[in-house]
Amino acid sequence: MADDGPEAASEAARERLGSQAELLAEMKVLRRQARAARHAYWFPLVLFGLLACASVPFYVQQVPRASGVFAIRSGGPTLPFFGSYSGFLPPRYLPYYWIAALLGGLLATQLWYRWHARRVGLATPARAYLITTVVLTVAAIVLPLLSVAKYPPSWRWLNGLRVLWPGDLVLRGTFPFLIIAVGLLALAWSERSRALTVIAVVYTGAALLASLYDVSNLLYRVGWNTSIADESLPNVLLPAAVLLLAGAGTLAARRLHRTTA
Amino acid sequence: MTAPEPGPPDAAPEARPPGPAPPEPAQAERADEHPTNGLDETVHQRHRLGILTITAEARQAEFGYLREALGLTPGNLSRHLTVLEEAGMVEVEKGYAGRRPRTWVRITGQGRKALARELGTLTELVRRHGAGAGG
Repeated sequence: MADDGPEAASEAARERLGSQAELLAEMKVLRRQARAARHAYWFPLVLFGLLACASVPFYVQQVPRASGVFAIRSGGPTLPFFGSYSGFLPPRYLPYYWIAALLGGLLATQLWYRWHARRVGLATPARAYLITTVVLTVAAIVLPLLSVAKYPPSWRWLNGLRVLWPGDLVLRGTFPFLIIAVGLLALAWSERSRALTVIAVVYTGAALLASLYDVSNLLYRVGWNTSIADESLPNVLLPAAVLLLAGAGTLAARRLHRTTA
Repeated sequence: MTAPEPGPPDAAPEARPPGPAPPEPAQAERADEHPTNGLDETVHQRHRLGILTITAEARQAEFGYLREALGLTPGNLSRHLTVLEEAGMVEVEKGYAGRRPRTWVRITGQGRKALARELGTLTELVRRHGAGAGG
């Protein structure tokens, strides 16, 4: 009996260790399964990719037909963050399209997540995504209005808000892509998804490139020459393609995983 | 499935070697405290720990998902939820989706803390014992 004491205690300790390690492993599996069931971010990727593609007609520039005469619209643009700076004669409806597309897309995404939660039984905490996108969109509308308005002397400090403008990022009319990018980064945090984080970072890179550089220059180097009217289109189609490819890839991977599971 | 009961500390307290003065009593207590002392009976039960783990992953989890994921009968799950609800670790919200009744479970801040503490304790126990077995 005396010899059995330490051995029995050691055996009991091993069993306890085994069951505790097993319990931890079980919780990891539950967490992984719940996360996989909850993920539904392919939808906003595809949706905003399609909305970006649908914006293409608004980016076709209205170049004056009179030879040798180009005009730049005079007067201050009312919605500069949404594209009224871009091009020679910027399309009138581009800013309105983007405001409607961002807010409509956000509403559709919320409805999608609500439907998905009812279907699988797990709800994603997507509030951070909603708040981030709404705040950025509203700020992008309000900030220019506040900072360029004419005020009585005691209110002129509001013109100082001009320092908050994001510089060259608004010049090509692709600032909405950056709002989408920040929203996706917030969504990646809410979804706790490494894959979406990688997608959001790659997309942010594409959106920054589209905002700061004429992508048509790259196409010109490989022999594809765009006309003046269409030269903004590569800047729109690059981020759109990233979103569509990522969304389609995520959906395909999800279906494959479900088939093999 | 039954929950593993937290056992007594495996190692007997060692005699203090000669050397510098012992730390303050509260400090010494903390240092010698075995991780099993940190296990919470309410949370340590396997299914209740599962409920907290799943609900911590989502804004809220539906009763049906929890029942299926944990392999429980509705009655069993209800009992575990009642225990957790009474302990203030989850909130249960009943509603309808169309005509179908739906019950949603949401983890509270207290539940999140308890879950983090429990998982930390379990990890520490496995680490300690694993290191002991390895060495």
